[in-house]
Amino acid sequence: MKDRYDHENLYWIPILILFVFLLPVFLKGVSFSYKYYLFVLNLAGIYIILNVGLDLLSGFTGLVSLGHAAFLAVGAYTSAIMVDQLGVPFSLSLILSPIIVGLFGFIIGFPALRISGMYLGLTTMGFGFIVKRIIISFREWTQGSAGLEVSSPILFGYTIKSDWDNYYLIYTFVIIAIIIGRRIANSKIGRSLMAIRDSEQAAEASGINLSQYKMLAFFISGIYAGLAGVLFAHTSSFISTDHFDILLSIYFIIMVLVGGASSIYGAVLGTLFIVLLDNLFVPLIEDQIQLLFNTQAGDIQSLIFGLIMFLFIIFQPMGLYGMWLKMRIYWKLFPFNPRQRFT
Amino acid sequence: MTDILSGISQEIISGIALGSIYALIALGFTMIYKATEVVNFAQGDLMMVGAYVNFFFVSTLLSNSGEPSTWTFLVALVCSIIFSVLFGFFLDFIINRPLKDQPIFSVIMATLSLAIIMRALVAMIAGPIALMPLSPFGDGSITFGTIVISILDLFIISSAIILVIIFYFIFHYTKWGIAMQATSEDPIAAQLMGIPIKKIYALVWIFSALVATLSGILLAPRIALLDTSMGFLGLKAFPAAVLGGFGSIPGAIVGGVILGVIETISLGTLSFHFEWIKEINDIIAWFVLIAVLMVKPDGLFGIEKVKKV
Repeated sequence: MKDRYDHENLYWIPILILFVFLLPVFLKGVSFSYKYYLFVLNLAGIYIILNVGLDLLSGFTGLVSLGHAAFLAVGAYTSAIMVDQLGVPFSLSLILSPIIVGLFGFIIGFPALRISGMYLGLTTMGFGFIVKRIIISFREWTQGSAGLEVSSPILFGYTIKSDWDNYYLIYTFVIIAIIIGRRIANSKIGRSLMAIRDSEQAAEASGINLSQYKMLAFFISGIYAGLAGVLFAHTSSFISTDHFDILLSIYFIIMVLVGGASSIYGAVLGTLFIVLLDNLFVPLIEDQIQLLFNTQAGDIQSLIFGLIMFLFIIFQPMGLYGMWLKMRIYWKLFPFNPRQRFT
Repeated sequence: MTDILSGISQEIISGIALGSIYALIALGFTMIYKATEVVNFAQGDLMMVGAYVNFFFVSTLLSNSGEPSTWTFLVALVCSIIFSVLFGFFLDFIINRPLKDQPIFSVIMATLSLAIIMRALVAMIAGPIALMPLSPFGDGSITFGTIVISILDLFIISSAIILVIIFYFIFHYTKWGIAMQATSEDPIAAQLMGIPIKKIYALVWIFSALVATLSGILLAPRIALLDTSMGFLGLKAFPAAVLGGFGSIPGAIVGGVILGVIETISLGTLSFHFEWIKEINDIIAWFVLIAVLMVKPDGLFGIEKVKKV
């Protein structure tokens, strides 16, 4: 009998990990501004961790969350307060904060037992606003809307300061997050979540405990977002509530959908695509557009994101990963392609 | 005691005016939801576009003729209405037709991305500086005893009432309205009965763009500064619609008014007496939303839906 992962080709994964760890060295050799590229990649890494969790929640389970920036905010502020004001070591906060955010996700998941679809999207969006406001009002700990300075992470007596060190810290966790995400998606839990997405009634009839699995999805998603929040707070060394806007939550969903909902690799691809586009491509065309219109930088960015999102939903609902799958099948069957399947 | 009472009644009046705006926005997406089951997250931004277009027409007319007069505003209003009809038709063409059989998640995201696109485009064309819209009603006010009502608020309330009556009439008593109801009940059966559902969908989108534009025109002088963050106000109409029961026209109105009153009272009288309300009065709509969804997910006027397997 075949084992669970036998049908997958896993040989290229160590090569990919090696590539991820050698990329900074390569970038340093190629470009003078490698520090900026590393900064962008770090941001992408943090978002990848969060989006893997979001994909498990929204892509696999079908519970739309429009408030994931709030999870990120809770994780970031929890860790910042624990490390800087309560004196908890960073390595312990790395374990504790995600669990706290997971429990917070539990609370948010509670309304999800009764409501679904766009009502849930609205509720999570509302939670996004509420969390932002509550963070501001706890002034003694969070310093309100002025923002909070966060210390650099210290792991095993070594202070992690530069973008270079941050890269290795973040991408270690990115790889772990992706592997665990794949395992969850291919396990009994992942299949139950997909069953819930496809039909709640059918899932319940086949013996899946709906409320338990929905809460579990929120808990897992919260843990991922909490981990991302901890890394975000300590590597960017300054956080304020402006970082966790409602637009960011929408961008997260855009990243997941552009990559292809309900596939972990899709979430990774989509995040990389959007973040690299935002930070490397948009500045290139920004100057030309600003000659034509008197605009702010954020407008061009959101225009491009909105357009990409819109075109993907209409023309390529499976996202980038779906495109890749189609291409793969196309080459496998190459001379004998049934034409209608690839339109 | 009397000044608390008069303060509260003053706040209730301006709350009703604010709530009428919420109600109009909620009316817009309630109609779309009723007919096509699509939730239009871009409604607030449609309103913003309407306000900007009206401002554009008013300022072009003013630069041609000079002094503002009643005719200026009337002509601008008619031009904006024509624009909104065309725009609604265009939206039906790009949102509703390609996404007819897609899951609700995709449709939500499509309207959200449309909202982002519209906001960015308007900001690019109009420039980053907030505009100051002219009020067609001046800044006069009427005094009843201790209560002062501005003419603008009075006009907002009365035009909201008139619009709601017109739409209620259209929806329940005209041939097209009944066709819309049939379409929302069961599109396939409606099609078999000879109802041109494509035309109905286009009509619904046109109506909701029209309502959004009118509410934008009414709201613009009230908030005094016109910028693209006006679209976020549209998000607050969602709690209003949920409170009244999503998909019911009277529910949208009642929910909007209740929410507007709650907001103004919590901004005014309550925040003098309770310190902690000051912290939460800009998110009180969302507390209301979550409370309603937890306790009574179908709202005040909603009909409980039974999901079939």
